[in-house]
Amino acid sequence: MSGTQAVTATPVQVPKQPTATGSRRSRRLQHDPTARSPLWVRIVLALICAAWVIPTFGLAVTSFRQEDDAQTTGWWTIFTTPANFTRLTFQNYSDVFSQANMGDAFINSLAITIPATVIPILIAAFAGYAFSFMSFPGRDLLLILIVGLLVVPTQVALVPLLKFYGTIGLNGTLPAVWLTHIGFGMPLAVYIIRNYMATLPKEVIESAKIDGASHFQTFWRLILPMSTPVLASFAIFQFLWVWNDLLNALIFAGQNTPLTVALVRLLGQEGQGWQLLTAGGLFTMIVPIVVFLSLQRYFVRGLTAGSVKG
Amino acid sequence: MRIRSTFAASVTLGAVALLTTGCLSSGGGGGGGNSNTSKNIEIMYAFTTDQETGFKGEVNKWAKDNGVTVKFTQSSDFNSLINTRVQGNDAPDVALFPQPGIMKDMADQGLLADLSDIVDKSDLDSLIQGAVETGQVNGKQYAIPMSINVKSIVFYPKKAAAAAGLTQPPQTLDDLMALSKKIASTGTTPWCFGIESGAATGWPATDWVENLMLINNGSDVYNQWVQHKIPFNDPKVAETLDQMDQLLLADGMTNGGRKSIASNNFNTAANPMFDNPPGCYMYRQGNFVAKSGGFPDKVLADLDNTVGVFPMPGKTAEDKPVLGGGDLAGIFSQDNQSAKDLVKFLASKDYGTNGYAKTGAWISPRTDFDTSQYPTQVLGSIATFAYESTEFVFDGSDQMPGEVGSGSFWKDMTAWISGQEDAKTALDNIESSWPS
Amino acid sequence: MIKILNALIAVVGGVAGAILLYWLLNKLAELLPGRWEDRVKPYLFLLPALAAIGLYLVYPTIQTFVYSFANNRSTEFVGFENYAKLLTSKTFQNTLFNTFLWILIVPASVIAFGLLIATLADRLRPRGEKTAKTLIFLPLAIGAVSAGAIWKFVYATRPPGQNQIGLLNGIWTAFGGDPVNWLQISTLRFNSLLLMVMLLWMQAGFAMVLLSAAIKGVPTETLEAARLDGAGEGSIFFRIVIPQIRTTIITVFITVLIGVLKTFDIVYVMTNGNFNTNVIAVDFFNQLFTNRNNGFAAAIVVMLLIIMIPVLVFQVRQFRAEEAAR
Repeated sequence: MSGTQAVTATPVQVPKQPTATGSRRSRRLQHDPTARSPLWVRIVLALICAAWVIPTFGLAVTSFRQEDDAQTTGWWTIFTTPANFTRLTFQNYSDVFSQANMGDAFINSLAITIPATVIPILIAAFAGYAFSFMSFPGRDLLLILIVGLLVVPTQVALVPLLKFYGTIGLNGTLPAVWLTHIGFGMPLAVYIIRNYMATLPKEVIESAKIDGASHFQTFWRLILPMSTPVLASFAIFQFLWVWNDLLNALIFAGQNTPLTVALVRLLGQEGQGWQLLTAGGLFTMIVPIVVFLSLQRYFVRGLTAGSVKG
Repeated sequence: MRIRSTFAASVTLGAVALLTTGCLSSGGGGGGGNSNTSKNIEIMYAFTTDQETGFKGEVNKWAKDNGVTVKFTQSSDFNSLINTRVQGNDAPDVALFPQPGIMKDMADQGLLADLSDIVDKSDLDSLIQGAVETGQVNGKQYAIPMSINVKSIVFYPKKAAAAAGLTQPPQTLDDLMALSKKIASTGTTPWCFGIESGAATGWPATDWVENLMLINNGSDVYNQWVQHKIPFNDPKVAETLDQMDQLLLADGMTNGGRKSIASNNFNTAANPMFDNPPGCYMYRQGNFVAKSGGFPDKVLADLDNTVGVFPMPGKTAEDKPVLGGGDLAGIFSQDNQSAKDLVKFLASKDYGTNGYAKTGAWISPRTDFDTSQYPTQVLGSIATFAYESTEFVFDGSDQMPGEVGSGSFWKDMTAWISGQEDAKTALDNIESSWPS
Repeated sequence: MIKILNALIAVVGGVAGAILLYWLLNKLAELLPGRWEDRVKPYLFLLPALAAIGLYLVYPTIQTFVYSFANNRSTEFVGFENYAKLLTSKTFQNTLFNTFLWILIVPASVIAFGLLIATLADRLRPRGEKTAKTLIFLPLAIGAVSAGAIWKFVYATRPPGQNQIGLLNGIWTAFGGDPVNWLQISTLRFNSLLLMVMLLWMQAGFAMVLLSAAIKGVPTETLEAARLDGAGEGSIFFRIVIPQIRTTIITVFITVLIGVLKTFDIVYVMTNGNFNTNVIAVDFFNQLFTNRNNGFAAAIVVMLLIIMIPVLVFQVRQFRAEEAAR
């Protein structure tokens, strides 16, 4: 529930080819693309990048250090004291699995994240289609309701849901968590998918109609395939958000603890030591980082999607 | 305006919904659990690792002998989860409450079975009385202790401390004060002290305050203070802080000095004791620091020869008050026979003798428990402190409302110790944070 | 393993079920006479999504509103008592104040950093730009709990005389300072600022990507023209680029603002709201579970909702303006 859940709140004005992090660049503000940039620019950026990376790097280093070392000396000393360097170990990783049940937590995380990511896509796509290509009374009102709900803090819903799940005996189960994520993610899903669909050429729909295709057929055969980029980007969004979520998991998951909850326990009052925390923290990061790096292009397109004015 | 009509519509919608959903919970609720004759029972608890493994082994053997199937539900967020489950009519059959506060609340709501007639009188009498009383609400026994921990222990490095003059455990608080000053006069700080614990920083300080409150005033006044029958900033508490100031915070009393306490982690604060020469000689903390992550591994490997323990002394040599804690077993399935049998077993003489005590992860609440079952002499001595105590009380901050017990009490003690607030301000702040 | 299997069954079953549902709904609509079919069909397509939103957001919001006027166990109405008690309590006033600080500081600094990085990276060669942006974007994927683990090793403190294991104190003591208990310094809300740095660290990449895309969208001709008129790079940036990407800046601002208001895990993990760092979302959680006061918890989120209303109105207006222009 932190800022991680980046919601493209209002449409973004960006050029037709939203430049992925530095992929193809068509225009630049100035200078010849092949020229070297001024030294000060490179220095300042290098400093910023270092500041951004070093904390994570410190965690990574610490995760391979022995408990006594991690407790008594800074992680950077492995570079100044070679003796510390030779004592690196994988012990923390095996401990974190045997003592903190990270293996189970990993499976729980997957079991929550996959349904919570896949299931809402189709539902939201249908709604997006209705909003984009069908006209009906109340359309604007409903759409505005959804835009408004993007802003509503989901904390508002937690207690009533807790009670509701209680009456149907769903508390402490995995479906309780992923169903909640589906519900909470729905406004964003509908919103960005609809924004994207609204940019698709209306003529396609018209000609399909003339050919006698029903809405149902048009949706499946034309619109859904054309919308793949936005569906993918929503999926990545939702995946990162659900994987990293703590609050809903704390409240609804019960003993089916996902990685975030398991990790928080290591941070707790009588936590079993920092060296486990580091290994657990790094382990938790692996999946989202892999997903993110491999699908970065879609992610960025998703952030800027749907708002393009042709 | 379109927007205005939207708002008007939503307000109307809201009002209609209000009328239709305006009902509130009917109160009570909870319950759950299994039917009277079910041989399947669920037990929920908060402890982990060795303590959990040993517990499962012990209970599974009992379950096999009695043809009962037990489902084990561990939750480190016990208080949240039990609350959730009770609100959702899905309470476990048996719960082992790590803190008495929430147990009392649930007993108050009529959710727990009265155990007075379920557990044998002779078993009840064999348990540490202070812990048994903690399980009582309005004179009825709603929960019984099934494991305890001891917090008023002073650990010391055996050989080095003897050389520094700790030849015999202090018999009274005055003796302890004298001993501390004697060590301090040699130029070494007598005490190790650290209260850093991440987001929970400050709780080890509250244990110190509670321990001294108990020693100075006895369990009756202590309980009144915990239950807010006397104000938090009572002069007795102010005196206690003053005492703590002389014993721990004054110059030369604590390793690293007053300023270091708030950043010194409680788990590792004692480690300078094992340096050569020692940075300090005494560390008051619960039995749980004597495990991996607390004392250094090489100390743990040879615990009995390196570490000595004595109980925090009473006001006189006859007083032996002990501050501790423990897990309290209560029954949600009021009529389930198997659940009753299980709790009966947890209170019985046999419980823990089947290898659990040998793990060293558990201390029996029975005063007649054979201390040779514990793996180390240190642990045996710690258990004996509890068994021979004249008074045994539970950690007070665990029983105070959350705003105080895991809020202002931690925070203002930290502020006081690190010198940001004087003692009076700290106590006044805590008093004013007590929910009305 | 069984869990994974269950999850897969849930996915396959969920998707297949959804397809079947839509197919049925569609068939149902087709049974209706022609004109009615067209009238009803949009609503049938919307039904599942709206049902989810209604069940998970609309209904609970209303219910919470009701609970906010009831006592701690939601068994009896107490009128405005929860609000009155909270608003007069010094602790809660502090929490509100902290929340406002987060609102004031974080979105603005995220945008400033995002702009800075975007502008600078734009001047690098493509490979350098890509690397720099990826590194800065990465924390967005990491998540606040892991970020908590990471930043513990930046802010950690050890008593004087011992080696420091936190980076910040490592640097500080290397320059001769005494170790500082960073997260406990509540003077001028310094510790809250340190927590905000974590959110900045996580979100700057997000701002950078959007702003960078927008900056690249500024027409070259405009810039060339300005340059011919003799405008300096600075004035080009502030007079031409910034106004051109205004909408994007607003978008990022609102997005980050929403994230800030919901900030829970950073504070929960690092300080649990102690040492004067409490914010509204953490207070909600602690009221609900530590203090077990449903009434306070509900009143707190309703207040959070009220704080959100201006954003909501703005959001809706912005959306309508966009639609009108489409």
